[in-house]
Amino acid sequence: MSRIGVFVCHCGENISRTVDVEQVAKAAGEIPGVAFSCDYKYMCSDPGQNLLKKAVAEQNLDGVVVAACSPRMHEKTFRKAAQAAGLNPYLCDMANIREHCSWVHEDKKLGTVKASDIVKLMVERVKKGKSLAPITVPVTKKALVIGGGIAGIQAALDIADAGHQVLLVEREPSIGGHMAQLSETFPTLDCSQCIMTPKMVDVANHPNITLYTFAEVEKVEGYIGNFSVTVRRKARSVDEDKCTGCGICMTKCPKKKIPNDFDQGHGMRTAIYVPFPQAVPNTPVIDRENCTMFQSGKCGVCAKVCGPGAVDFKQEDRITVEAVGAVVVATGFKLYSIDRKPEGSPIQGYGEFGYGTLPDVIDGMTFERLASASGPTGGKILRPSDGREPKQVVFIQCVGSRAREKGISYCSKVCCMYTAKHTMLYHHKVHDGQAYVFFMDARTPGKGYDEFWRRAVEEEEAVYIRGMVSRMYQKGDKIVVMGSDTLVGVQVEIEADLVVLATAVQAQDGADLLAQKLGISYDKYNFYSEAHAKLKPVECATAGIYLAGACQGPKDIPDTVSQASAAAAKVMTLFSKDQLERDPVVAKVNEKYCVGCLACKKVCAYGAVEEKEIRDRQGNLVKVVAYVNPGVCGGCGTCQATCPSKSVELDGYTDEQIMAMIEAL
Amino acid sequence: MTATKKHLNYSFYPGCSLHASGREYDISTRAAFKALNVGLKEVPNWFCCGATPAHNVDELLSLSLCAKNLAMAEEVEGDLAVACAACFSRLKVTQHHLKADDNKRKQVEIAIDGPAALGKPVKHILEILARDLGLARLEESVTKPLMGLKVASYYGCLLTRPPGVPELDDAEDPSIMEDILRALGAEPVKWSHRMECCGANFTLSRPGVVLKLSGAILESAQLAGADCIMVACPLCHSNLDVRQASIEDKSRTDYDTPIFYITQLVALALGVSGTKLGFESVIVDPRPLLTKKQLL
Repeated sequence: MSRIGVFVCHCGENISRTVDVEQVAKAAGEIPGVAFSCDYKYMCSDPGQNLLKKAVAEQNLDGVVVAACSPRMHEKTFRKAAQAAGLNPYLCDMANIREHCSWVHEDKKLGTVKASDIVKLMVERVKKGKSLAPITVPVTKKALVIGGGIAGIQAALDIADAGHQVLLVEREPSIGGHMAQLSETFPTLDCSQCIMTPKMVDVANHPNITLYTFAEVEKVEGYIGNFSVTVRRKARSVDEDKCTGCGICMTKCPKKKIPNDFDQGHGMRTAIYVPFPQAVPNTPVIDRENCTMFQSGKCGVCAKVCGPGAVDFKQEDRITVEAVGAVVVATGFKLYSIDRKPEGSPIQGYGEFGYGTLPDVIDGMTFERLASASGPTGGKILRPSDGREPKQVVFIQCVGSRAREKGISYCSKVCCMYTAKHTMLYHHKVHDGQAYVFFMDARTPGKGYDEFWRRAVEEEEAVYIRGMVSRMYQKGDKIVVMGSDTLVGVQVEIEADLVVLATAVQAQDGADLLAQKLGISYDKYNFYSEAHAKLKPVECATAGIYLAGACQGPKDIPDTVSQASAAAAKVMTLFSKDQLERDPVVAKVNEKYCVGCLACKKVCAYGAVEEKEIRDRQGNLVKVVAYVNPGVCGGCGTCQATCPSKSVELDGYTDEQIMAMIEAL
Repeated sequence: MTATKKHLNYSFYPGCSLHASGREYDISTRAAFKALNVGLKEVPNWFCCGATPAHNVDELLSLSLCAKNLAMAEEVEGDLAVACAACFSRLKVTQHHLKADDNKRKQVEIAIDGPAALGKPVKHILEILARDLGLARLEESVTKPLMGLKVASYYGCLLTRPPGVPELDDAEDPSIMEDILRALGAEPVKWSHRMECCGANFTLSRPGVVLKLSGAILESAQLAGADCIMVACPLCHSNLDVRQASIEDKSRTDYDTPIFYITQLVALALGVSGTKLGFESVIVDPRPLLTKKQLL
């Protein structure tokens, strides 16, 4: 006969309001095999846990059921307490009478009956339960960081500085990301490149960091501590080992008029190029679509002038497979475009702003490039259409953000601050110019942020107009901006020379596809989901994968750097052990009965099922059976439900246990 | 071999304006449809859609007026053709609201003592011309292309808005009018004020507003080099045409810009005589322009 202890929690009033906990404890005491039952106000508190420990010892209990909240909340707490009292932790289970009962019911009488039933089920399960030992898996102490913007750079440097190997993979030819594009940064107006480029160089020089630029993660397999990642290193057409970065190829390339994405298409580059002079690595890439050699087979000037002979037109993509123990995802963001969206897109463009057809209506990032000393205008604010210096500039905030009718309801968080910064940069460069800002409200939570915004308004003479813009159109060489000033209650019309839109921050293109490769979840805007909004902000629900920066949601630089360091700290914690303990709730195959149909392999979402050959002593193949890799198994039980010969079972959820639970009702 | 051309038939809700101040719109719509051999049968006993006043005063009244008209239209075969932009808007908005809100629909069905005809397709004549009939067939039917006529196509507020309700075209950057004009051989101009408000009902209560807003539309059309403006709404027509003299007085500018209903231009291009399209009954006489362009 079992000796089970049942502990019923009040959860303050969360449970006891709609469940008669004393009655539940009393009823539990009458279940055969229950040796002890009681109720307590807060089981998770220290006295509560002590109550459990004491009862296990004094009553000589061989199983425990805690009737309280969800096991997601406190299973670990109580299993630890049971273990401390000398019980196998897997013989301690929770009956969820809060989320599954008291929170969703109003009738106390019926609630009490249901709670008693839930307790009864769990008692039966524990009765048939077995002692389990945690599984240990080795940890590969090397991290993969995806994305080489400030988030990825910071995470990579932190992990590498702690003495671990890091593989940093960046899609573009250079690391640096969006931060390298910025002119000056709020709230201190320090030059973005000046603080960014040293970190980029540190990455390149760090002995523990392997840098793959112009590369993409193709496949991720495995599990925490033991991932296998496949990286495609796209053909640069330039041999990194031979290239000295002298740049003569770029000066001689005859194709010179290709819009440079780094300058938002406003600067020009050659077909063999580095995106910007401070690029890391400083090895050029040939843009094959625009290269005369690749398009017509004639030219090859770059190869002729290259002293070390680094240009290699025949270079092919290289596939590299690497073993890593943890992954930091830092893929960043892109900016919303007001262009007409394809039919059926849930996100809409701005027809009232001309769908991006007015040349002097630009986005915030383009303004950054215009204001940047390394930008296409050498830091002069000149408008795209005719290269004139604009004397009236209208800035518009919340374009696409907080606009449910356009398909995006969230706040992009950085626009209020960078627009204030833009007005200052403009005022510093064009002394007789006037900046206007249309805004809904100024959101300035951050150290020194509100002071910065006030400075834009009070000292730098930006005119802030609280209201939205309904329409803009070209009139001669001006753009007429029609909006409202809701504080004064009048309609406003401004004839602007340049309009700058603070467009929404969106998840990177292909963010969803990468998430599917990684097996992590994302929201409807394709931002990656953290495991817990407050308490696990850098972890994914998938163990061993961490998030840094704007791929998780719009973020400014300080927040991004903090999150990147936090993700790095999580990786270091993981790497602090040689072996990793995992929950032993995994499937096991009974090889005697398994007929090798491998139906389980087809349904396994984790790819944990392998084929195993059974041979006799002479080495003759007897049969093929399924084998579940305990390191990979997620413990979902789908194989168990699928198996036609009932020869695979999940520890902790065996058929015997489940049947006993059903029979108890 | 040409594809079989199905014969199109519509029920027709003209609305009050088309029987009064916008008579030319009614005449030219019927003429154009006749020339295209498209059937148009007026809904018997139709009454006012409630227009702007009803929905400003009482939502239930406004929805019920439209629902009752829709129910009566159900008795006539064919999708419901509407010419007036305001009637079109009210009928579409009614269907939209009642489909989305069961409680409202029940209230309205009690008020009109019968089911609301939410499934009856309501179509603006622009849609019928450009989509049901099709631009290719329209172009084939043109016997007198409007060569050299530079037209500013004016959509106003209601044809495409609010987004997702009329489903006529892109809410802020439509092209259906320009497409039709090209099919007629005319030259649509690119201009800035095609989606702006003309001042609408303020024409009676605060005419100053209309002089300002409609004035901006006339100015913008002139800057774009348009010979005339094309509309699909009787109230826009009235504001741009009837108020044009006052606008000219106020702004000391000579516009002399004729305002056409879309169907007047369609009918003209299809070869209907210019004497039968109501050109004589508008304020800014379009005949000198049409004569100059050799279109009369």
